[in-house]
Amino acid sequence: MASLKAIRRRIASVRSTQQITRAMKLVAAARLRRAQDALVAARPYHDALARVAASVLSGETEATAPREEARRAALLVVVASDRGLCGGYNANLLRRAEEEAARVRGDHLEVRLFAVGRKALDYFRRTRAPLAGDRINNTPRLATYTLARDLARQVVNDFRWGEVVEAGMVYSSFRSALSQRPTYERLLPLSPPKPPPGREEEPRVGAAQYLIEPGFGELVPLVTQSYVEAAILHGLLEAEASEHGARMTAMDSATSNAAEMIGRLTLEMNRARQATITRELMDIVGGAEALNA
Amino acid sequence: MAQRFPVRLVTPTGTVFEGTAEQVTAWGTLGQFGVLANHTDFITPLVPGLLEITGTDNGTDERYVVAGGFAEVRGGAMVILATEAIVPVVEDETALAHEAEAAERRLAQLSSYEPDFSEAEQAARLVRARIQASELSRTADAS
Repeated sequence: MASLKAIRRRIASVRSTQQITRAMKLVAAARLRRAQDALVAARPYHDALARVAASVLSGETEATAPREEARRAALLVVVASDRGLCGGYNANLLRRAEEEAARVRGDHLEVRLFAVGRKALDYFRRTRAPLAGDRINNTPRLATYTLARDLARQVVNDFRWGEVVEAGMVYSSFRSALSQRPTYERLLPLSPPKPPPGREEEPRVGAAQYLIEPGFGELVPLVTQSYVEAAILHGLLEAEASEHGARMTAMDSATSNAAEMIGRLTLEMNRARQATITRELMDIVGGAEALNA
Repeated sequence: MAQRFPVRLVTPTGTVFEGTAEQVTAWGTLGQFGVLANHTDFITPLVPGLLEITGTDNGTDERYVVAGGFAEVRGGAMVILATEAIVPVVEDETALAHEAEAAERRLAQLSSYEPDFSEAEQAARLVRARIQASELSRTADAS
């Protein structure tokens, strides 16, 4: 049995770890709330743009199709976190990315990866995956319009210049603090944007019925670009909320594990103390009896 | 009194304005344009510039600096999708002038064939719009 002193030291160490995990949980909870608010705030923009894109780009297969002479490659943007201590968040996400990469290879396409977040970059470096670029240290916020715009520019340019025939992103979609699901979303070629749910299908407005300034030809690439931007921003927002949710859950269970461990160690400590007392009493009683005899 | 029509200004960070207005003026790729009630269905990309929503429900005129996006009118309702909409504030004149000078110099150095040209052009336009907005808010504050 461990000595009393060793057990006391162990308890102190577990307790200080518990303080850290509890603080991290609280920080994650606050950030999660903020990320969820941002997710809700971005919805009207996303919905409105999806509607515009649906009416402008419907039937526009030519403008959004990959170039015929394009390289047989696909670009995958993988959105992971910069920091760990968030349970299986990154592991699940990277597994999904690998699955998607395998699917792409199965289609006889070359895989190009774009890492967002340090964890994704570290992983792809370790596995020597072909990297097209990276964006790490996205603090304090991951989901910013600037990052979405830069990523969209990369995606749209690669596609337009015939570097890839498909582009998509892998991110965790947020369902609740307890559940995040790694998801693949194809960005280009555009799958026809659906009108936001909850509203009846709007009649497809043919381009001719719209007064378009300056002209249809100029509008299509702009709408495509903006739509990809909005889709990426949406993914980033989901990823940010998922990360904080995952971290909150992980830190919550770490805190309760620490509490459990402290309880067990306290029991052990009491037993050890009692054993010492009993042994000392036995010594005294034994000594007294020896004198009487 | 002029007729009002529904107007919505949305950005990636949230809905900035939602209500009705008598007139909206903004800057599209072909220049400044105005929208009144019963405008035909139309869509145009926006360039950085001032967006003015006049005669709103509570009788105020709203002014924003918009960084880009789209304006759409459909079925008599207008939706402005702005990548960013800043409520104009009175800015420090000298700092703003410096910023404007830097932006214009960068633009002047680039030819229109270079890939950075449109970005520099947008940046310069945005600064010009901010100067305009800042002056307008200053005169509004003074009166």
